[in-house]
Amino acid sequence: MQKLDRLGWAEGLALSAFGVRAGVRVNASGVLPRILTVLPPGWKKSRRVIVQRLYSLVVAQSSERAGMRRLHVLYSDSMRIARDAALDQVLAALETDLHLYIAEATSDMTFLHAGVVGWQGRAIVLPGRSFSGKTTLVREMLRLGATYYSDEFAVVDNFGLVHPFARPLGIRDDSSHAQTKYTASELGVASGVKSLPMGIAVICQFETGARWQPTPLSRGQGALELLANSVAVRSQPQQTLRRLHKLARNSLFIKGTRGEAHGVAASILNLSCARKQLETA
Amino acid sequence: MKERQFPRARVDCLSREFDSDLLIYDPQRNVGHCLNSTAAAAWKLCDGSNSPSQIARTLSRQLSAPVNKSIVLLALDQLADAHLVVEPVVLAKRLSRRVAVRRIGIAAAIALPLVTSIVAPTPANAASCFPNGHPCVSAAQCCSGLCGLFSHTCGSILIKKR
Repeated sequence: MQKLDRLGWAEGLALSAFGVRAGVRVNASGVLPRILTVLPPGWKKSRRVIVQRLYSLVVAQSSERAGMRRLHVLYSDSMRIARDAALDQVLAALETDLHLYIAEATSDMTFLHAGVVGWQGRAIVLPGRSFSGKTTLVREMLRLGATYYSDEFAVVDNFGLVHPFARPLGIRDDSSHAQTKYTASELGVASGVKSLPMGIAVICQFETGARWQPTPLSRGQGALELLANSVAVRSQPQQTLRRLHKLARNSLFIKGTRGEAHGVAASILNLSCARKQLETA
Repeated sequence: MKERQFPRARVDCLSREFDSDLLIYDPQRNVGHCLNSTAAAAWKLCDGSNSPSQIARTLSRQLSAPVNKSIVLLALDQLADAHLVVEPVVLAKRLSRRVAVRRIGIAAAIALPLVTSIVAPTPANAASCFPNGHPCVSAAQCCSGLCGLFSHTCGSILIKKR
């Protein structure tokens, strides 16, 4: 770390998000605005100089020797976590690592790996691992009028309410799996601002040609599915269980294999409507 | 068949009730379990002083329905598999769920015990990641946790091409 500290640092900032403090510094001026685009939603500048994790980005200077490839290098504290000739790739690695670190380190909230949309005052939560089709379903629901909350994390507070984590949607290319980022405004949809109670949690896996015939899960089984997608359950099991308990009350859990997203998204939104009408009746 | 004498539930696990289900987290093994109402009721009665027959009698009273000892043995078997009871006695002949259903009959008044388990994810497992073969610059980006040093693709082993 001392060796890193001795490098000349041109600019940097300390930030705070969900009660976690992190710092980012870079050795070249003019790069900071690009770093700001990958910081977690809701981050604030922190005045404190002591941070829990410090990221150091060493930007390659242009080479004078022909044929020599210079690489940008990213360190998390003293550990090198990314190295590439493309700065965008290294910034993507910074985004992944920083968001995951905050999700893991915060004790203010519980982060679940899930897509979330808001619909008629309730959150529809879609927990699932990578490639389960969360983002596709989120995007389809947005197209049908839902409010964007997140395509990566459901952020749950002590009261069991779901907060927005509206980072740009990472939409994957079908063949290469490469992600292209779109903000909610670029997609022409509204982003959620206030926290919502969970209405429905949908546990589904994409399978080509599958027919959507979900089955209801008990609250315990549903909570187990949420536990399987909790980022910090190993380090904060007590808090995670407590928040899941609050999150799951009055919620419906359904599980199934889905085919194309369009019909499924409409079916889930209709179910949410029907449930709300039942409650109000 | 050898009877489990006095099964005792582990006390170092965290638990929360979700309606009639019980969600248990085992911090030693990092495993989460969901016990349905019958399994949960049986687990709560495993205090080291109740035999399976006594548990069956108590469950009958609690649930206001006849509870066969086979149901309790099936529950204990599943709880033992999930490492939720301390030093379980191994049954001489294992009672499968199918055999239990046949023996107990489909007209049982209560739900058959069911324990569902999942391994708790590590933080990296509970986040979006790239599949094997996808270009990467950092191990955190890969589902496998491996980003090839020279190939810069996920899941690669660190061998330099000659």
